[in-house]
This record gives sequence, C-alpha cells and structure tokens, in this order.
Amino acid sequence: MTLVLDTEENEAPRERSRGGRRPELRRLAPVLLPVCICVLALWAPAFVFHTEPRAMGTGLGPAAWPRGILALLALMALAWALRDLWAIAVAGRGPSLTAAHEEESYAWGKAALGLGLIVAYGALLPWIGFATATVAFMSIWCLAGGLRNPLAIGGVALCGTVGLLWMFMGLALMPLSRGQGVFNDFSIALLRFLGIY
Amino acid sequence: MMDTLQLLGGGFGAAFHLAAFTTIVVGLLVGVVAGALPGISFVNAMAMALPFTYVMEPTQSMLFLGGIYVGGVFGGSISAIMINVPGTPASLPATWEGYKLTQQGQVKRALAIALTASATGGLVSALVLSFLSAPFASFALSFSQPEFFAATLLGLVSVIAIAKDQPFVTMVSLFLGIAIGTVGVDPLYGQARFSFGISEMESGIRFVVVMIGLFAVGEVVDLLATNRSLRPSGTRARGLGVKFSDLWGVKWAIARGTALGCMIGVIPGAGATPGAVIAYGVEKQVSRRRDEFGTGVPEGLAAPEAAKNATTGAAMVPLLTLGIPGSAATAIMLAAMMLHGVTPGPLLFIMDPSMVYTIFAAMIIANVLMIVCGIGVAQAFSTLMRTPPAVLGAFIIVLSVVGAYGVRNNIFDVYVCLAFGVVGWAMKRIGFPTAPLVLGVILGPLAERYFLTSLANSRQDWTVFFTRPISATILGLAALFILWSLWPNISGLLRGRHARKA
Amino acid sequence: MKTKKLTTITGLACSVALGAATLAGAQEYPDRPIEMIVTFGPGGGADLMGRTASQLLEPRLGVPLPVSNVAGASGNAGLTQLRTNPADGYSMATLISLTVASWASGLGDNAPEDFDVVAVVQSSPSFLFVPANGPHQTAEALFEEARANPGTLTVATSGYGTQDDVTLKLLGEAEILMENVPFQAPAERYASPIGGHTSAIYEEPGDVAQFVRAGQLVPVVVFDTERHPEFPDVPTSAELGVEISGLDNFRTLSVKAGTDPEMVARLEEAIVDMVASPEWQEFCSQTYSCIEPVTGDEAQQMIVDFRETIAARLGS
Repeated sequence: MTLVLDTEENEAPRERSRGGRRPELRRLAPVLLPVCICVLALWAPAFVFHTEPRAMGTGLGPAAWPRGILALLALMALAWALRDLWAIAVAGRGPSLTAAHEEESYAWGKAALGLGLIVAYGALLPWIGFATATVAFMSIWCLAGGLRNPLAIGGVALCGTVGLLWMFMGLALMPLSRGQGVFNDFSIALLRFLGIY
Repeated sequence: MMDTLQLLGGGFGAAFHLAAFTTIVVGLLVGVVAGALPGISFVNAMAMALPFTYVMEPTQSMLFLGGIYVGGVFGGSISAIMINVPGTPASLPATWEGYKLTQQGQVKRALAIALTASATGGLVSALVLSFLSAPFASFALSFSQPEFFAATLLGLVSVIAIAKDQPFVTMVSLFLGIAIGTVGVDPLYGQARFSFGISEMESGIRFVVVMIGLFAVGEVVDLLATNRSLRPSGTRARGLGVKFSDLWGVKWAIARGTALGCMIGVIPGAGATPGAVIAYGVEKQVSRRRDEFGTGVPEGLAAPEAAKNATTGAAMVPLLTLGIPGSAATAIMLAAMMLHGVTPGPLLFIMDPSMVYTIFAAMIIANVLMIVCGIGVAQAFSTLMRTPPAVLGAFIIVLSVVGAYGVRNNIFDVYVCLAFGVVGWAMKRIGFPTAPLVLGVILGPLAERYFLTSLANSRQDWTVFFTRPISATILGLAALFILWSLWPNISGLLRGRHARKA
Repeated sequence: MKTKKLTTITGLACSVALGAATLAGAQEYPDRPIEMIVTFGPGGGADLMGRTASQLLEPRLGVPLPVSNVAGASGNAGLTQLRTNPADGYSMATLISLTVASWASGLGDNAPEDFDVVAVVQSSPSFLFVPANGPHQTAEALFEEARANPGTLTVATSGYGTQDDVTLKLLGEAEILMENVPFQAPAERYASPIGGHTSAIYEEPGDVAQFVRAGQLVPVVVFDTERHPEFPDVPTSAELGVEISGLDNFRTLSVKAGTDPEMVARLEEAIVDMVASPEWQEFCSQTYSCIEPVTGDEAQQMIVDFRETIAARLGS
C-alpha cells in the first residue's frame, strides 16, 4: 500500500528508453501497486470468517457479497496493471497515477515526524488520558510546526485542551478517555477542578 | 391548499416567537460550526445535542435539532472548500470543485455559490415538505428494496464521473472501499466477517471514521511538510466580492441539484451523501463544460451543494408523515420526539398539526437564515485561517480524534481513523484517489443490504431488479451513465485502433 | 404535553429532595457521573429505554448518567466496552434479548457470566402484524394461506438467527411456512408491510406503536401463553394450535460482573424505585412493555435460559 514512487517516474519519458535493464525495470515500478492489490484481493477471501459460521437460513449467505466484491476488485486491479504495463512498455505513456506536485519542496522528514506524532497521540490516548495526551501532542506539534515562543505554545496547548475538555466532556458529556491508574486519578481530579464532574 | 397555507401561517407565527426563533438560530449556529469543524459531523453534533432537548418543549426540541441539521449539512462544505477537509461526508463533492476555486484565490466566490445553492436547495425542499408531503410520502412507500438497491448502484456508478481519465484506478479505489465496508457483522445472518478474532472488528468500520482519517490527517501532515500557509490569497479582500452573474450562471445546476436532492432525500436509507454524489455525476454529464470538471467549475460545486441541502426537507417527509426515519439525523429527531412522548406519523397531522407546521415553518426560516449564519461562520473561519498552520493542524488532528471517538465512543475507531490517516497520506502522495474509497465505504454496505434483502423478499429471484418498473428504470439510467461517462475512453480506444490500422 | 412536563419537573424536584435526604450520610457511591452505554444507535427501543432511565435515575442517584451510544455487532460492541471498563460501578449498559440471541448464533465473545444484570426493566411478547389494507386480516386467514401456498407469504424480521427466525422456524414445523425477509434497518422493516412489500411483520408492539395507533398495522397473533392485556382481541398462537412462548423481547440494565455488590444493590434500589414512578409507567405503557422489574439471580438466570433456548432452536 505504501509504495513510494520516485518523482522522476511521474514525468515518465515519452519515448521508450533503449538504456540499461535497470531503468527499464524501474519504470515498471508503478505496476507493482495494482499487482499487490490484485494478489491481496484474491487472497483475502480466505479470511472472511475467523470461526466457521453455522449454516443458516436460505439465500446467498454472509460470504457471498464480500467474495463478489473482492473478485471484482481483483479484476479491476488486473485491468489497471495491464493498462499501465501496456502504457509504459508499449505506448510509451505514463502510468495511471500521477503524484501531486503542487509544492516545490516536500520535507519528507517532517512528514514522517508528523505521522509518527499523530500515531503516538492515538496510541497513548487510552493510557495517559485525553487531557494529558492532548496537551503533550499540541505542544510538540506546534514546536515541530515552527512555533518557538514557549508562552504561545503553552497557551495554545493548555487553553486549547481545557476548551476542548469543557466543550466535549462538560457540555456534550462525551466519555473521553481518562487514562489508566495514576492518570485516571489525575484526570478525575482535573475534571473536578474544572467543574466538569 | 388553503388549509395548508393557513396552518403554515400559524406555524410561522409560532416560529417567530422569540424563544422559538432563538432556538432555531442557536441550532443553526451549532450546526454550521459543528459541520465546519473537521471531524465533527452534524450527526455527531445532533447526538450530542439530544440531552439538551430533554428540558425543552417538544416543538422547541425539533426546532433546535432541525436547525442543527440544516446548518450542519451546509457547514461541512465550509471546511471542504477552505481546507480540502470535508466536515461531513456529504461535502465530499465540494472538495472536488470548491477547493480548486480556493486554490485559484476565489474562496469567496466558491463559498457564495455553495451557500446560495445550499439555501436554495434547502428552501425548495422545505416548501415541498410543506405542500406536497402526502404525495411524496406515498412515493417513498412505493420504493422497496430493489429500488433502494438500484438507487445505491446509481450512486456508486456516479463515482466514475469523478474519474478524469483513469477509470480502472477509480474502480479499484471504489471496490477497495466496498470491501472495507464489508468488515463486521453482516446485515442478514448476523455473522462477523474479516474480524480476525478481534471483537472490536465485529462492529465494523464506520465511514465517518474512514473519511476523517483519509482527509484530515493527510492534509495536516502535508501542511507540516510543505510549511505552506492555509490562508487563501482571496481572503484579504473585504466583503463578499461576488458578482450576481456568478450566482445566476449556475441557476440550472442548482435547479437540477435541488430536484435530484428532493427525490433522493425522500427515499429512506439514502441521504445527503448519495444525493450530492449523484448530483455531481449528473451535472458532469449534462454540463457543456464537462471536460473542465475537477478544475473548479462553479456548476460542479452548485449542483451537489443544492442536492445535499435539498435532502434535508425531503428526509423529513418519511419521518413526519410515516414515522419512518430515513437517515441517522432523522433517527435522532425521532428519538427526541419519542422522549417527549410524541410519536410522528399520520396521527400527528391529525392530532397536533400545529406542531407539524411549526416544524415546516422552522425549516423554511432556517434555510433563509442560513445565508446570514453561513456568511458569518465563513468569515470567522477565514479569520481562523490566519492562525499559524501548526496551531491549526494540531486542532484539526485533535478534533478528528474526538470526532472519530465520538462516532460511537470507542477508542478502536480512533485507531482505525489514524491508520486510514497514514494510508490516506500515502495515497495522496502517489496520486491514488481517496474519494471513491470513502464513497465505497458509505454506499457498499447499503448496496449489500438492499441486494440481499431484495433477493430474500423475492425467493432468491434475480430478475426482481429488472421486472419492477422503477427499479428497472433506475438501473437503465445507471447503465446509460456508465456508457456516457466512459464514452470518451471507449471512442478514444476505437479511434486509436482505427488510426493504427490506417 | 405541558402538564406532563410540569409533573415531570415537580416529580424530579421531589425525588431530588428525597434522594438527597436518603443519601446524606448513607454511602459515598456514586460520587461522579455514571456512563450509560446504550448498545444501539439513537432512535431505537434500547436507546429510548436507556435515555429515559438516564433521565429518571439522575435524581435518584444524585449524579448525571450521560448516555453514550456504542452501536455495532447487534449490541455486542457496547457490551465489549462495558466488559473492558473497570468494574467500579461507573458504567452501566443496556443488555437486551436481541444481543443475547446473537450470542447463541455465534456472535461476539461476550457471555452471560461477564455481566451482572441489575434489573430487567422492560419485556414484551412479539406479535405478527399485517398491513391494514392487506388481504389477510386475521391470523386464521394468514395461516390458512401459508398452509395452502407454502412460502408465498413474507414476514419482515430483524434477521436470521434471531428470536424472529426461531419463531418462524417453529411455525414452519407446524406446516405454516412463511418466508423470512430480514431487514437490518428498523425503519425499513416497518415501512415494508405498510408499503405492501411484505405480507406481515414480526415485532413487539412498542416498536410499531405509532403504526398500530394510526391503524396502519393490525396485530393478528401474539406469541405468548396468554393474551396481551392491551390487545385482548388478539389470540395467542397457542389458541391457534402452535405453542410458542418464552421468546419475549426484554431489556435490562447491567453492569460488569464483579462489581461491588453494595453498588449493585444501590443501583437496583434506584432502578426499582424508578420503575415504580409514574413517569416510567407512562413511558412503558406507551411502549406496551410494562413489567414488574426482575432483579438478582432471577434476572441473571433469565439471560442464561434465553440464550440456551435460542441456541437449542437454532441447533436443531
């Protein structure tokens, strides 16, 4: 799924290069994605049920629709792969997918950092509670985004979190995570302090 | 007719009482803001608002929820147009044309068109609701499962219209979405599919969660990685800066969208999202500028906007006349009524017509007021755009997590949302379209349910879809749609072969 | 409407005063909001029950009981959440017969032992309803047609493997063969007989009350040992020669197993008091589901038995 394409690939050469074997193969890399999807779609029906269901009632059964959809998915992925193969290897055109290229510079490191932060936020949420996790996430994110004034960062993170807590846990009565153990006690104390509980 | 006018007049009288009027305005504002916040959908907001209605009068609670509904369906488009993150699923089409306009610095124009189209669509459908609820109700009842299936299929087929020249990629994305939609308990047999033994997987993957992940996370990460400002160049100018001719130019798109929205909204089970997508698809086929779609065509923005708000009034028809809620939003309104001991249905018209017509009047007022509220909230949002992108990004992520969690108060949904966030970011990087996937997740489970129930209701007779006149007509339309939208590809292929022979 | 509101408010005020009086010095629990997990989405029967209970329990327990809808997997998603929350008495969930039936057909990994049923607060037998403009207006006519032309009649139900399915299977054993047409969405299920797309619908009267009162749906047979007091003219299935009972739709309020018995007792006391209140009585009579609350071991046993009944019928 996370097949990364070289940017050069996207401006695929209009003419068939008669160069070495390696670039020839590299140009075919975009075909990998549909091929993978096709293989996955053909393999997935094996996992429809975790435990074999009891035979029941009439009709097509619970597996018919997903199997049909997966078959169509495999077919479409195959068609995509063949079309791209033909386009790249025979017609000398580009692949179906063309990456967004509106930005001049894309900081891949920062993107990876951002994704990591977001995933860490989600993963820690049930353990350390919404309040703690959100303050931490907001301050680190602002730092990563180029904010340097500690007052501003702290203000945004604290006020933002309190505001969100008040709005969602206080007003909308959502049972957002309070965390486990010590964090749970801390969250309850905080919510009492804020007058939400 | 005279009776209706009289009752509606009474309704207006009741709705213009200070308390009632304030309730509508507050509801509208809550709706527009909640809809516009990425992550928080209007259904979410309505469910959260439900406890507040306990202390209200029954009519007042309907005005409040109705206001949120009308405002929320529009609100989603504000963030779709401004930051390419749809606030609600129905605003997906607004990202295709509206955000393109924003990129060209025409954010005000885009918002004005969206707002006018939404308000017009909503207003017309509210009037339809007031005067034609009886015929529309019997129209709704004549639909059965095969017709629902055909209509859902038409929605799925409309997705092809999004594709510019890569139908296979679009189809793969769409089928991936439908496949993701099959996770969880199946609709007929109650068996868990693709659960891998994880009990949370049995409850399935919700489309709102997928949408929040795919759109919000990718957009925010890109914001961080490119350091670009979200402030659209057009917001500097004060005032709306919109020419009347802009709005007049899209009048037929609005009319078509409104008509489609009214028809689709009345079908129980469908809703704003299929309405908007089908309207976009139809508009692309009908428009003279079909080749420019996807580059910021006003018609392509106006039609789905009109359609999605036109579903609001129409969706109230089955709720009020039959007591049958057609969508998640109307189900919450039903809950509010039942909690007050009011059961909607034909009896309500006889026993408490003043309440019914107050609701009608409120829907009409809400749509007119929406223009004011919409402009206000859009202004506030464009001010927000001036905050540093890092702060904005952090808030969008936190709101998305809260929104994903709030769908059914489950931390697992947050994980799913963030996983789709990473996938969505990667898809965006390589140019794999995400919108068909989301629509697949939304419409796929509906299609499956309608398909299997149709067969169960016809003793597994496959021909049922073609022997029922309405169903056959819609399926015929869908087939035409495929041919029509794929015609450039097919003819291109044929011509190519011809050229090579010659 | 207005008077009802007023009585509710005065009722609430009185019970707040009473609650405060009895609570003072009694015990600490509860001292913060109790999460009310409704295991289905907003708008259904379980949601209405949960929300009504949340409103009426607040003055009796002295803390708010915010409702959170955790829908999915026939109610199992919400129960899984209850099971994974700590057993500290601060989460309560709706546990209903449909979910118990889903355990019997192999869904989820929840079991009766995982939960402590505080009280069964609603229960209602199911009926077959026919549309008012349909050709068969009595159970005799309906069953006659089903015997004469097996499988031509269709019944809208909530799914295969549910108590609806079991009932139709039992009828089928008595040669009354009707096709089971599952509609997952309740709204579509109710619309189908009214729109003439199915011949009948299997449902408890409370969920289709508005259609029954409006005369769009007519009850023809009740699956119970005796006639329903609200529908004295509707015969039981036993009177028509097919004994089907014990498949009533019930709704309970439950907590995680292992919760402190004193807390359970406190909740039980509040719930029993709530069920006796005029507000609850008005609510349950509107939904034809009034019962004397069943509590303690008896309530627990009800779930175990129901699961076994369904499992036995599905297995055969």
